[in-house]
Amino acid sequence: MPILEIKQLVKSFNDVKALNQVDFSINKGEFFGLLGPNGAGKSTLMNCIVSYLNAEEGEVLFNSKNIKELDLSYRYKIGYVPQEIALYQEFTALQNLKLFGGFYNLSKSKLSKRISEVLELVQLDDRKNDIVKNYSGGMKRRLNLAVSILHDPELILCDEPTVGVDPQSRNAIFDMLNELNKQGKTILYTTHYMEEAERLCNRLAIIDYGKIIAEGTLSHLISLLDKKETVKIRKAQESVSALSSIKSIGTITETDFYFEIIPDSSLATNSKIFEKLEQINIPSHLLELSRASLEDVFLNLTGRRLRD
Amino acid sequence: MKNILRLLNKDLLRFLIDKPAVLLTFLVPAVLIVIFGSIFGGGSGSRGKIPIIVVNESKVDIANLLEAEIDSSNSLRSIKNYSDEQGNLLPINEDKAKEFVKTGKYPAALILPTNFFTDTSSSLIIKYYYDPRNEIESQLIQGTIQQTIFTKMPKLFPLLMQNQAQSFLGTVKADSFKTDIAGMVSSYFGTDENEVLESMTNLDIAEMMNGDTSDSNSTSSFDVMNNLIKFDSEQLVGTEIKNPGVTRIVGGWAIMFLLFTLTGAATSIFEEKQEGTLKRFFCMPVSKSQFLWAKYIYSILLGIVQLFVLFLFAYFLYDVDIFSNFSNLMIVILASAAAAVAFGMIITAFSRSLAQANGIATLFILIMSALGGSWFPVTLFPDWMQFISKFTLTYWSVEAFLQVLWRDASIQDILFPYLSILIGIAIAANYAAIYLFKKRQVF
Repeated sequence: MPILEIKQLVKSFNDVKALNQVDFSINKGEFFGLLGPNGAGKSTLMNCIVSYLNAEEGEVLFNSKNIKELDLSYRYKIGYVPQEIALYQEFTALQNLKLFGGFYNLSKSKLSKRISEVLELVQLDDRKNDIVKNYSGGMKRRLNLAVSILHDPELILCDEPTVGVDPQSRNAIFDMLNELNKQGKTILYTTHYMEEAERLCNRLAIIDYGKIIAEGTLSHLISLLDKKETVKIRKAQESVSALSSIKSIGTITETDFYFEIIPDSSLATNSKIFEKLEQINIPSHLLELSRASLEDVFLNLTGRRLRD
Repeated sequence: MKNILRLLNKDLLRFLIDKPAVLLTFLVPAVLIVIFGSIFGGGSGSRGKIPIIVVNESKVDIANLLEAEIDSSNSLRSIKNYSDEQGNLLPINEDKAKEFVKTGKYPAALILPTNFFTDTSSSLIIKYYYDPRNEIESQLIQGTIQQTIFTKMPKLFPLLMQNQAQSFLGTVKADSFKTDIAGMVSSYFGTDENEVLESMTNLDIAEMMNGDTSDSNSTSSFDVMNNLIKFDSEQLVGTEIKNPGVTRIVGGWAIMFLLFTLTGAATSIFEEKQEGTLKRFFCMPVSKSQFLWAKYIYSILLGIVQLFVLFLFAYFLYDVDIFSNFSNLMIVILASAAAAVAFGMIITAFSRSLAQANGIATLFILIMSALGGSWFPVTLFPDWMQFISKFTLTYWSVEAFLQVLWRDASIQDILFPYLSILIGIAIAANYAAIYLFKKRQVF
């Protein structure tokens, strides 16, 4: 049973189509990822879902009802975690929670109970009376999440909630979201980090230039690739000097530390690739074989890397 | 050196990219220079003529001459008639003149009474009714009239002095004094004593009127002759005001600072947008109109408190009486705050960013304050500028404060046009702002 359905959504900014007939749905209880590079249209889509922006065409259905026809009450069932730290930084955590929680018509005791629960969940109960601007980036991000789930929403919309967060806080946020998903909350999570999407989401869609270019489970998306593994050559003097020879094997994509090979069709197996690399004197210690990732799926679909 | 040039280039580039900064740097000073120049005579257009009621009850030649000189004055505009309710043009008499000054229709009235000048007058008698709410204006009127008399009919003064001497010494002693003087002049210069005596006694009124000395630059004669013109002055308004100086200016400065504060409050919508809290609210069960209403009410409350505190300061520090007409003062504060917030809202709706909003707001606030009478009385402006000033909310607010503080005006007195216009501005600007908010998707 879909909780959220996006149907043929179109949104333009001047001549740029930020969303181009976006179409997908999310079932109740799912942890759904929306993966795409910066500027792909993820935040625009989020803004349309929460009706902050109006789409020119298409519709957004929440529990099978068009959000345009619903009054503000449907927002009681949605929790939006914005990309920005949308908090009053001169207030304490507790003041922020009380302020934003106050709009959800919770009784005083219920609000107080929920504040205690979310503070415990985001591990800020011992810092609740501190001014937010004195928090670390990770703590602010956690409070940003806490404010959004205070009213116990059915659907949580997370718009890149870990931008600029240290690995420790990022893991803490992942754990919290997993916990919420286990409690039955449906989560839509946008990110341009494929590692996050792979780790968290049981189903996802890849968006690029405002269009959904693939959708499905991680294994389904990987299955779209001809090869399930990737050969990487670590950058070193030997590999850099032999780059022109390496290019004869297939298409090379370059990252900070590696050359990744998308081999020509003549080199169907990994053993043939390794053999070829040996012939051009690439030392074996520079070679790595890795399982195909969403990065490869994106590369395969668009010819570009996610972070290009 | 190259690095200095590179850094210089960087600063120039950053400055030019910041359009509000460019606007404030060049446009604001340019506009203010035009305004100051126009007021103090150096700019385009002449200073506006100060209106003054002239009632000539005397009709003697000298009175007629003075009336004619005021009519043709470069700095005064004589008012002699008014239209009644049926539209009939009627001459203004002394009572009507007093009424017009009391109600603030005109700043002053000059009455040339029946005893303005007689053959035995030792001084000119002029009745002067005035409203000193504008001190500069009042001084200008008196100065201009004195100067007109001194420069246009200087030979009047020997006669007045003779008459003064006669009234002081008595006719016999004065005649004897004149005879002695004529004798001394005759023996010293070798002229006929009777001729000298005759020229001293028979001063020709017509000749008095022809001796224009406007080119002369004698200021000392002013002091001597000051007491030859008796300004029978009567302040018709504000006699009970303890501190006229501060009472005059407090409203103007109050509305200027109110505009800065409330525009800041309105443009804080951009700050909330930048911080993301605006979007968070709109993803919660909060509508855009609820958000705008809250912002509007908050700003008005802030404005009311700010103005009230400012007036309290004026009360405690400068004895400005804010409590004798307190309820009407609060109504003007409320109307001014509502109009100022609406102004802030429309600036916000027109702008694309906080920096742009602040730039545009500063530009408009300074110009409106200068034009609307926060800094100088608008009556000192050229006519075209006085016309423009009526299109600023500052003008109506300053005038409304003056009506309440200076004239002790009732609610009926301030309802039309002052309050009506301020509330009209508030409503119209708010509707326009809401329309623009929707059309331009400011949120």
